[in-house]
Amino acid sequence: MIKQVENPLLEIHDLTVSYDQSPVLWNIDFSLPEGKLIGILGPNGAGKSTLIKAIMGLVEPTGGYVKIFNKDLDQVRNRISYVPQRESVDWNFPASVLDVVMMGTYGRLGLFKRPGKKEKDLAFSSLEKVGMTAFAKRQISELSGGQQQRVFIARALAQEADLYLMDEPFAGVDMATETAIFQLLQEMTKEGKTVIVVHHDIHSAMTYFEWIIMLNLHLVASGPKSDVVNEDLLRKTYGGKLNLLTKVTEIIRQQEFNPLKN
Amino acid sequence: MMTFDQNAFLIISTASMIAISCGLLGVFMMLRKMSMTGDAISHAVLPGIVIGYFISGSQRGVEVIIGAGLLGILATLIIDFLRKKAKVQLDASIGITFTLLFAIGIILINLLAYKVDLDQECVLYGEIAYLPIDLWITNSGFSMGPRITWLALLNLLLVGSFIFLLFKELKLTSFDEGFGMVMGIPAGAINLALMSMVSYTTVSSFDAVGAILVVALLVVPPATAFLWTKDIKSLIKLTIGIGIGISVLGYYLAFWADSSIAGMMVTVGGAVFLISAVLTSKKFKFRLGTQSNQEAFNS
Repeated sequence: MIKQVENPLLEIHDLTVSYDQSPVLWNIDFSLPEGKLIGILGPNGAGKSTLIKAIMGLVEPTGGYVKIFNKDLDQVRNRISYVPQRESVDWNFPASVLDVVMMGTYGRLGLFKRPGKKEKDLAFSSLEKVGMTAFAKRQISELSGGQQQRVFIARALAQEADLYLMDEPFAGVDMATETAIFQLLQEMTKEGKTVIVVHHDIHSAMTYFEWIIMLNLHLVASGPKSDVVNEDLLRKTYGGKLNLLTKVTEIIRQQEFNPLKN
Repeated sequence: MMTFDQNAFLIISTASMIAISCGLLGVFMMLRKMSMTGDAISHAVLPGIVIGYFISGSQRGVEVIIGAGLLGILATLIIDFLRKKAKVQLDASIGITFTLLFAIGIILINLLAYKVDLDQECVLYGEIAYLPIDLWITNSGFSMGPRITWLALLNLLLVGSFIFLLFKELKLTSFDEGFGMVMGIPAGAINLALMSMVSYTTVSSFDAVGAILVVALLVVPPATAFLWTKDIKSLIKLTIGIGIGISVLGYYLAFWADSSIAGMMVTVGGAVFLISAVLTSKKFKFRLGTQSNQEAFNS
């Protein structure tokens, strides 16, 4: 079930990516609408992060192409923002929270220019949105996992982009932070921004995402939540591993009891 | 009994300038976890020096610096290729690359021995004590003062402006290269520019401190400063301070012990590092016991 859209914000055509001859993404072909909160779901090793990296030009595809705002990536870099996985950097780096968030403004500044008051104000307003203003001067080595994640999101906000790509922003984040971040993402989509999130928890994915992409080396589904979320497609995505999961969600649904949220 | 000793002043200020240049670059090499790449570069430039010497016929030609710079970049590219494309581990690719290039350099020296008055010794070990007698004489016969001091000053100016102009880009690509690349910052070019500056600094400092000790100046002051501070600007300032400190102390200890100045500088650097490591680990325990936010120190 792959739903293509008119005037797509992001169009991926026949994308294939391989590492060392072995393909990790096969013939991915989909298009995405503007202003939606979009989730990429799939089991471990399904190629979710690779898909994000291919969109951002961080891995070279062996075939196919990506168009963003109907243009090549290089023409629209200023309109795109990226939240990498938290573990991809060394948090012992000598920088404060404010330093890291300011980095989001570097793309628009260009080479040699230094950030000034305007960039600082932008960084502070981004920190405020994620509730981290009080931590501006804190060294990043002294943050908890959830705080690190919020700093990365603030840095992405400081890019003032139209399209946000986030790689597992909820990994190792507690429930309260997850809910707060999801609310922020929903507000952003209301302002017309598009947010694409790699996510692993099916349950919260059902609650928050409007559009869902299911991936397992091949593209299994891409479409509005109501169209693509059914047992058949979930099973195709997760394979046998879903059996246990569907049982658990069934029980939760029947009893209207959620030990995770209460 | 304090009198102004012109030679002491020249040697200390030259040593300080070299230590500052190396320290400035070393901070970013350390933050990129590439300190040992600096080691590799300092040895891998040898064939470039020999070829440059062969072409220019002089140890002081600009060809020598260009040759060394090109070899430094080549070494970086080979290390990168081995690591990313051939999937060799970083430490192994560094070991393979610089020993191979250094060996080629030695063979070249032997082959060109009749043309090139150069031996491994003068590349591996420099001697800053000879600085006051190695003068830069202009064509009209006017003495401009010690040649190495001018080289060190030029080097410091270039390294200083490089770090100043590209500070923001160096900081970002050292912390999160992928993010920088997504924003369109030419991370690869900045990395190569940094490696070229390291190659150039290494060659420029050969006469004074030699290839082995230049590595110590790249690694030790930044590593020591990082024990004391977690702010990048203080880190740079402290690295500069340590560089000057070990130059002054190193000179007077060498004078007193009648020994190699460069060797003494690095010994002092090592001692300062060890003392810092002991002191900061005591501070660590002390703070852990008295502060409430203990979890911050567990990682």
